Formats: sequence, C-alpha cells, structure tokens
Amino acid sequence: MDDLLAEFVAETREMLEAIEGEIVAWEADPGDRARLDSIFRFVHTVKGNCGFFDFPQLESLSHAAESALAEVRAGRRSADVQLVNGVLAIIDRIGRLTDQIESGENLTTTGDDMLIAMLDNTAEETSEPQEIQAVEAFSARSNTPSSTPRSIRLPVELLDRVMSGVSDMVLARNDLARRLRASGSEPAIDGPFERLSGILNDVREATTRMRMQRIEHLYNPVPRLVRDLSAELGKQVMVDLEGEDAEMDREMIEMIRDPVTHIIRNAIDHGIETPAERRAAGKHEIGLLSMTARQSGNRIAVMISDDGKGLDCARLGSKAVAAGLLTEAQLAEMSREDLHQLIFEPGLSTAETVSEVSGRGVGMDVVRANLDKIGGTIRVRSTPGEGTLFVLEIPLTLSIVAGLTVSVGDQRFAVPRSFVEEIIHGAASSLEYTRLGDADLVTFRGRRIPCLSLARVLNMREVSDLRQETLLLIRLGTGDLFALAVDRVFDHEDLVVKPLAPAVMATGIYAGTTLLDDGSPILMLDVYTIAAQNGLVSEVRVRPAGRDEQVQHAAAKTRPIMLFVGMDGRRRAIDMNLVRRIDVLSRDAVDIEGERAQIVIDGAILPLIGLNDQPLPEDKIKLLRLSDGHCELAYAVSEVADAAAIDSAIVPSDADPSIEGVTLVGGQPVPIIDGLSLFARHGRTIRTDTALTCRLPADDDWSRTMLHPLVQAAGYRITTSAEDSADVIIVMEEQAVPADTAATVIRLHSDADQPGSADCGIYRYDRDALLGALKHARAGKSQ
Amino acid sequence: MNELLVMARIAGKRAAFRAVEVQSVIEIEGISPIPRAPDFITGLTAMRSRSLTVVDCRKSLGLSVETAPGVRAAVVEVEGHLYALQVDQVEDVAEARSDPEPVSGGFGDAWQRVSLGMVETDAGPAVLIDVGRMIAGPPAIHSARKPGNEPIGVSA
Repeated sequence: MDDLLAEFVAETREMLEAIEGEIVAWEADPGDRARLDSIFRFVHTVKGNCGFFDFPQLESLSHAAESALAEVRAGRRSADVQLVNGVLAIIDRIGRLTDQIESGENLTTTGDDMLIAMLDNTAEETSEPQEIQAVEAFSARSNTPSSTPRSIRLPVELLDRVMSGVSDMVLARNDLARRLRASGSEPAIDGPFERLSGILNDVREATTRMRMQRIEHLYNPVPRLVRDLSAELGKQVMVDLEGEDAEMDREMIEMIRDPVTHIIRNAIDHGIETPAERRAAGKHEIGLLSMTARQSGNRIAVMISDDGKGLDCARLGSKAVAAGLLTEAQLAEMSREDLHQLIFEPGLSTAETVSEVSGRGVGMDVVRANLDKIGGTIRVRSTPGEGTLFVLEIPLTLSIVAGLTVSVGDQRFAVPRSFVEEIIHGAASSLEYTRLGDADLVTFRGRRIPCLSLARVLNMREVSDLRQETLLLIRLGTGDLFALAVDRVFDHEDLVVKPLAPAVMATGIYAGTTLLDDGSPILMLDVYTIAAQNGLVSEVRVRPAGRDEQVQHAAAKTRPIMLFVGMDGRRRAIDMNLVRRIDVLSRDAVDIEGERAQIVIDGAILPLIGLNDQPLPEDKIKLLRLSDGHCELAYAVSEVADAAAIDSAIVPSDADPSIEGVTLVGGQPVPIIDGLSLFARHGRTIRTDTALTCRLPADDDWSRTMLHPLVQAAGYRITTSAEDSADVIIVMEEQAVPADTAATVIRLHSDADQPGSADCGIYRYDRDALLGALKHARAGKSQ
Repeated sequence: MNELLVMARIAGKRAAFRAVEVQSVIEIEGISPIPRAPDFITGLTAMRSRSLTVVDCRKSLGLSVETAPGVRAAVVEVEGHLYALQVDQVEDVAEARSDPEPVSGGFGDAWQRVSLGMVETDAGPAVLIDVGRMIAGPPAIHSARKPGNEPIGVSA
C-alpha cells in the first residue's frame, strides 16, 4: 500500500472516529444544523479524497450522501428517518470499505446501489430496516488481522519534545566542544566525543525529517489532479509549481492538503473558462494555474492563482443577501475586497450548476475552518476577467531554518535564506545608486530596487556607504523585491530558532533567536515585517497575471544577452542562454600549446577560447562557461559586465563569421558572438553517458601506451577485460576474436607494407585509418 | 510562612525574589544587544545553550541609570521565556518572616508597580518583586514607540 493510500485510510478513520459522536447526536436530533454540517463535511472530504484514488463505489456512496445532505442544508428536504438511516448506513459502509482498502482486499460492492437508492427521495418507501440488516450481515467485518502497520501515529507534542530535546542537545554539544577546545587536546575524551557528536548529528537529521517535509509532497499530486479535472471538464490547464523546496511541518502539510485541493478544484471548475470562452475573451486557450510557496518570517505563504474569469462579486453579494448573511444596505457599503472574502462564508458558492467536481459551496468554508485550526489565514483577491489569487498563510511552527548570517558593525544577525535571491557586492560596477529624498534606490539589471540599510533599520548607524556594503536581494512572498545592505555576509547554516520574549517580539523586526556554534546568541530578522514597516510590501498581487506575463512579453520581444569585456579589451555580448555559469579559476588550470588551449574545470578538460592571443592574466582567469546542451566551452573574459536584453535590431556582419551581428546596447555598438559557429568550431561533444566501449588487448605495452590514449581521445571508454561487453574490439595481429560478439572488430598489424583493408586490418601506426575505422564503428552503432 | 527568598539589591534598595521563581543566579558573561528593543532590555545572553533575555531591573523600574548593573543576575522563566534579571548584587537566600504585606503610602510609583508587598526577613524588610511585572518594563516605554520606528524608506 503506498503512502498516500495509507494516509487516506488513516485520515478517513480519524475523521470517522471524530464524527462518531456527532452521528449519534444527529440521529437523535436531525434538525441540529451544526451536526449536519460536520457530517456533510465528512462525506464531502471523503468524496474529494476519492478523486485521488480509483474507488468509484466510495465516491458514488459519498456523493449520494452529500447530495442528500445538501438538500437538507438547503432546506429542500427534511431529515426524515429514511434519510438519516441511509446516511448512517453509508457512513458505516465507508468505514468498512476503508478497512478493506487497508487490508488490500477486493472491495465488496453488494448493496451499495440499494444504499444509494435509499437516499433518492423520489424512490418509494422501501422496507429499509430489514434490507439494511441484510447489508450489515453481508459485509460484516472480516476478522483477518490487518497487515503489519507501516506507520504509526504519534501525538505531535511528543515529537515536539523530542525535537526540542535534540536541538538543546546540539547546543549543549557545541558548548561542550568549545570547552574541550579551550582546555586543550585530551585524546581519551576527544575520540568518544567525536563519536557522540557524529551520532547526535544523525539523530538531529532524523528528527528534523520526522517533522519536516518538503512542500513538494503537497505539490506531487497536483499535476495529476489538474490533468484529470481539466480533462473531465473539457478545459485546458497548465500547472506551474514553484518553491517546492520550502520545508514545512508535516502536520501543516497534511492540514493544508485538503484546502489546497479544494481551491484547485474550484479554480479549474469555476475559475478557468473553457477554451472557447477564453478565446472569445482574448486569452490564451490554455489556462494557467500556478502555485507558489515562500517562507516569510515565521510563516509560509502558499499562493494559488488562476488566470480565469475571477470571482463574480455581484452574484456573491446577492447570494449573501439571499442567505441572510447581509442586508442590502450592508452589501452596498462593502468594498469589493471584502465582498470577495464572502466566499469563505458557509453555504455560499457562485457556481451556477452543481457539479461532481467542486460541489456546492462547501469547499471554502471548510478551507477556512481548516486553516483557522492551525492558526493560519486565507485571503482571496480577484480581478474580473483576469484571475483569482488565494493566499494561504501558515505559521511555521518548526524552528530549524536555513539561515544566512550577516553582520552590521560587530553584531551578527541571521536572515532566512529562502528570501535571499542573490547576494551582490555593493561595489559591483553593474549597480547604480540613486538617492531620492531619504530613500535609496539601486538599479540592478535595469530595475530600480528600493534599498534598505540594515544599519539604519536597526538604528545602529545613520549613514552607510552602500558601495562598501553587501547587498542581499530579497524577494518577499508577495513578489516584492528589495535590497538589504549589510556590512558582511558570513555563512549559511541551519539555525535552531527559538521564540523571543514578547517585549522583543513587539519590535516586529525579529523572528526569533538562535545560538551560533560558538554559543553566542544572535537574532533572526523578520524580513517581511522590516519591509512592511518601510512600506516596501505592496498589497497582494495576482502574480502570474502580473509578473509572468511581463516576462513572457519581454521574452517575445527581446533576447537576453550577457555583456562582457574580452581578453583583448573589447566589449562583446553572447546569448544569455548559452552561459551556464561564470567561473574564476587559477591560471594553473590552463594548458596552452600552439593553437590548442584547454582548461581543467571540475575534473573535465574543456576547450578554452576567447584568448585571442592575449597573454593570460597573472593569477586568476575569469571564464564564461558556455553550453549548448551537449558540450561545454570555456570562454576567457577579462570582465563580466552585465546582463542586458537586445531591444534594437541586430545588424548582420558578413566580414566576421564569428559574430552574429552588431547591436546597440545603451547606445554603444556591441558585437554579438555567434553561438552556432562557436560551437561548430570548438565544440566537442562530451558524451560520457553514451560513450561506446572499446576493448583493447590486455597485457600489451604498446596498446597501453599508444593505443589507449588515441582511442580514448576518439571518445571511447576503454576496457581490457574480456568480461565487459564492448562495442568495438581491437585485436592485435593473429589474436583470436570472440566468435559470438556483436562488436565491430578492428584488427591491427605491424607490417607497414601490407595494405589496410577490412580483411587484414590496419597498420598499427596508420593513425588516420584507425581513427577512420573507429569513427565508422561509432556511426554504425549510433544508428 | 517560611518561604525562601533570594535577596538582592536593586538601585541600592533591598529587594527579594521568591526562590521558587528563580531558576539560578548566573554571572553574565557576554551580552548581545538587541537594536530597537525597549531600553530596559539589555540584550541576549546564553546560559547552558539557551538564550536569555537580559532585563535591567533599574531601567525596568523606570529609574535613570548612570552605572553599569552588577554582573550577577537572577534567572526566571515567564511564560516559557527565560529572563536574566540584572540587579546591583545578589546577596543571599533568606527565609521570609512574614507574608507580603502592603505598606501604607506604597513604595513610590516605580516600585509599587513591580511589588507584591513588603516581607520581613532576618536581614530586614525587603520589597517582594513581581517577576512578571518586572520583565514587562515601565509602562511608558512599553507602549511608546521609539523614534526609530517610523518608516525610513519610501513606498515602492
């Protein structure tokens, strides 16, 4: 049984246990609205969960119960004995089916139709009591013990105690380590201490994993869900998931799994239009559903947005009035923003027709209830015709945060790493500073970004020269970007963050405290609040409609390029897509002989180009590592200027085939290197994974010293063992060839006068013929 | 009642903490200041791998302070947070000879807020300190925002 299924079973059973009391109470008083609601939510959730799995009976049973209960909720039907009995029988049945699912038995379906029919109020009064008895008897619980449980459920408090115990242990260990270091080396103690320390690290990692899970686990089922739903509804939807490596408490992930599923269902069912409608509205036929997760301070924000038709305010309003939630007068006074929040009220749904998919106005109130339970919040924002954005904020209960330690003056602080997009040295030539009033702006890659000095935020120092500082480019959960200037950036490390005293929390600029390895306490900054206090947080925005569209537009019109200054001092540009990374290496890695220049990077030899016969720099050499997806080149540059986008025409140059043309960047002509001809000339395919194997004669000095390097340079993997399978076998003189081999056999001989031919083989110093044969063999193999 | 008290001096005056509330008395080594925190909070320090919030009792009383506090501090836990209360000096542990009683006329505004009353000890009478009030700081500072709190950036 896979994990998802196990969780489904556990969850269903837990909910069953929880509503057991409600069922009894409801049976006694079918008019009890609160009990009705919770039973309704149960069957709704079960139905929703069935969407992940293939349990048609379970789905149709819960759907039947849900429909009947919805009628009762809407007041169209009274909860008579037959209905109550029917619903209860279905809930019992769900419990039994769950047991069967867990033990992996085939699901019995006998009686299901009858149960469903019982709830059909058009059906005639049946003689239900006996029949229900019959069903009960038939599907009586099997007594076979369920298989050994693969998971156990533990109270969260217990886990918390273990976690905090381990965190404290780590800190105590660090403390002890420091004292041991101070007291000098004690071999009798150091050994066991090291061991203890190692074990503790393992335990710590394991405990962290006990509670933390990458948000990926929340994302995993989404593409499938979206695919199935959109197929069912005849819509086309593309999913964009981002931030999957944010870590979250397992418990929280489970708690928001349902809300997220509901929101996605709603988005596809009610939000995103059919392709025809979208075309008519001038939108792309394929709708976009995007999900982003970001950690902001001690909360995680999960944003789900669609580019559908948005919420129907008028309908929401009139429904709210009809349901008695609001008076007309109140409605008239409400802002659109507030109107949107109405969708979280119980019983309101804007759907015209009730569908199998997202149900009937139950989802959103359940969603909010679930989030309330864990201290989270949910907000919605919608623009008619453009889309809807849901922002779920979930407290980050757990306290191991990947942090970056920075300093201002002689004091250190920690910044949650998830916020930091980039670290730039303030003196970088690509930065431009502007001071407007009292605000600092920095221009980076053509964007003006507000810049805060941490020293000023903390009132530690009035003036700071941003050029002397290091800038952290910080992206908030809302998508806002700003630069935070700090004196130094130290290191990143996992920090055990503890809450701060209320009086300190009240400042709003700290999210917690942590002890560094040297035992000194440091403060973790609450970047989000710092930004908010400085007016740098815009209101929630529909991110995909805003940012992504912009990017797409930009991509359509412009091409990103990277500007650099070559070794000869000339400015050039190269297509940004070709640049894999920028490296600075010691010149010792360079090997030049005549025309051929190579450089060793990460254990691989890459062709080195761009030297243009210029002398190498004294110690370090700066390189652009270019890749066309198959092979890599190292391009030496003297300086990397900046990224830019081509927005003016490229004037082709006929004279120089190595450049694609010349374009204007900031009014200056810049030649753009032609990536195509560059790779055509220098590219060398590194295909280690697809390399063919060549078996060479074992125990032969000549083959080892002469043949081996030659064949290897031709791109073959070498083996000498007869055991390994080989694509090409090279044999010497009269050596026997394995009879049953599918490999190409190349025979070498030492008679210079003998003509090279397939029969007698190739003269061992006839390099060209040998390479030709290898090439031929490769061509034959790769077909 | 024979309650044990930790006797200390705050701004030269004799004060007492309930011994059950005091986890330990430590000598504070290094304090990391907390920028923009209320004035009475001196900073953070570490004790046995845990962070403590260091509170200067004199400043918490709203007294103006010219000298550095003593190196010893009483460690108390309030609502799950550990605090180190900086006092002039920690003197001794003594037995209470009386229940805390109000003093007619009070102890003066600053002291009245943090006191639970007067207790008699063998060393003489002392003000029994309400730890929870002590760590809350003076009301004026507690509610007033410090000048640095207004935004210094611009809206983007």
